Amino acid sequence: MTYLNELMSSRELLANLTAREVKGKYRRTVFGQLWSLINPLATMLIYTIVYSFIFRARLEVGDPSGLSIYPLWLMCGLLPWIFARNVINSGMTSIVSNGSLIKKVYFPRMALPLAAVGSFGFTWLVEMGVLLIALAIAGSNFWLFLPLIVLTMVFLAMFASGVGLVLAIVNVHFRDMQHLVGIALQMWMYLSPIIYPISLVEDATQKAGHPWILTVYRLNPIERFSTVFRNLMYDNRLPEWGDLLACLVWACASLAVGYAVFSRNEKKLAELL
Amino acid sequence: MNDVAVSVEHVAKRFRMFHEQNNTLKSAVMRGRKSVHEDFWALKDVSFEVPRGSTFGLIGRNGSGKSTLLKCLAKILYPDQGRIQVHGRQASLLEVGSGFHPELSGRENVFLNGSILGMTKKEVTRKFDEIVSFAGVGDFIDQPVKNYSSGMYVRLGFSVAVAGTPDVLVVDEVLAVGDATFQKRCRTKFGEMREEGRTVILVSHSMSTVRDMCDQVAWLDGGQLRSAGAASPVIDAYTATV
Repeated sequence: MTYLNELMSSRELLANLTAREVKGKYRRTVFGQLWSLINPLATMLIYTIVYSFIFRARLEVGDPSGLSIYPLWLMCGLLPWIFARNVINSGMTSIVSNGSLIKKVYFPRMALPLAAVGSFGFTWLVEMGVLLIALAIAGSNFWLFLPLIVLTMVFLAMFASGVGLVLAIVNVHFRDMQHLVGIALQMWMYLSPIIYPISLVEDATQKAGHPWILTVYRLNPIERFSTVFRNLMYDNRLPEWGDLLACLVWACASLAVGYAVFSRNEKKLAELL
Repeated sequence: MNDVAVSVEHVAKRFRMFHEQNNTLKSAVMRGRKSVHEDFWALKDVSFEVPRGSTFGLIGRNGSGKSTLLKCLAKILYPDQGRIQVHGRQASLLEVGSGFHPELSGRENVFLNGSILGMTKKEVTRKFDEIVSFAGVGDFIDQPVKNYSSGMYVRLGFSVAVAGTPDVLVVDEVLAVGDATFQKRCRTKFGEMREEGRTVILVSHSMSTVRDMCDQVAWLDGGQLRSAGAASPVIDAYTATV
């Protein structure tokens, strides 16, 4: 508990570290913060062209919103995923890449991975804002669900921070981790219904006669998160409570494990780097 | 115990010297959890007390454990045995400007570094002018710090650290970087801090600096405490062995 107190008292440090990441990232670039919008837009364009025009992925019609715009449907799942991926990646490397700081100054080390969460959270917030504006123009009526959208965003941030905290410690011991995780994250994305609808998986498992595959597939927490985000933002309906509950459980469990692992290993970090 | 700023009690610090370190996944898998190492005790049963309001020097040869002890004092390393108690607020300056972000301006870095050292934004704002004038960086304060000369870098970092009015300031051999004017200014600052009842702990190889600035000295040799006490006799004993 004393550690939590210490962390709380260093929230100003956390804010400053976050600002450092946000400001430092696009310093001396012409477009500055705009880059954080250009990146997801470019990704959206690529996936839309490849999956919507070339592969002719099935277009999901929002129920009851009636939307049927692939890029918007895609972004409802892709933006949360990009955020989670960035948090996991930069949370993992935050300790190793700030080694010089850790070896010279004392402060609660958890501020470093959490600052990564903060800086990507800031970018994500802007992206989601832009997406919601685009959805509103397209005719999505998500206003009633806004509190739930924000809540799910918090859950996802908690989930990703927990994973990032654990990996940050593991990465100090085994530097292989960052390369392994790069591959794992890529696989994870394709194993989640982000660029394709889950109905394709349902069909495929049915056709193959192995419905249990779908059950295993749905154990993936990112599947729950993207389902909930799409229910709220694209379909404009309440998600199934089971899905929302699963998000909450994943969020709390991941953060609790991350916190426990990190605070237990924190003191050894300076020596190991 | 009110006149003791820092008490070091039976502190020992062990380093593992790995012959084959398990920090790739491959080696961990190949050898299981076992890794081959030897223990090296960088500090062995070191105990002393630093009186409040003193300027305390740590001296000794290279590899005698000074820096390890300093890092333990700064809470960067944790002793394997014994304990260190610090009474009051502590700031450490093991490498000046270590928290600086090169692309950010001096002004932004002052706030960033201030918060790393545990100061609140309000406090930094209040002392901002004092920090800038002490560092003597003048108009460069709004320039990115990567354009600073190394002297300016050090001076700004040092100014932020002392502005926090720590009860205990831990300083590594960083002051040697500044020019004579700045060193003099530091000396005056340490004098002021001593008068305010604040404690400075520093490491230096320059015996003239130590003689000049410190009133108490601890002499480490091979990880063990040879002697501690009033400055001149300990320094004389140390110089006799060199």
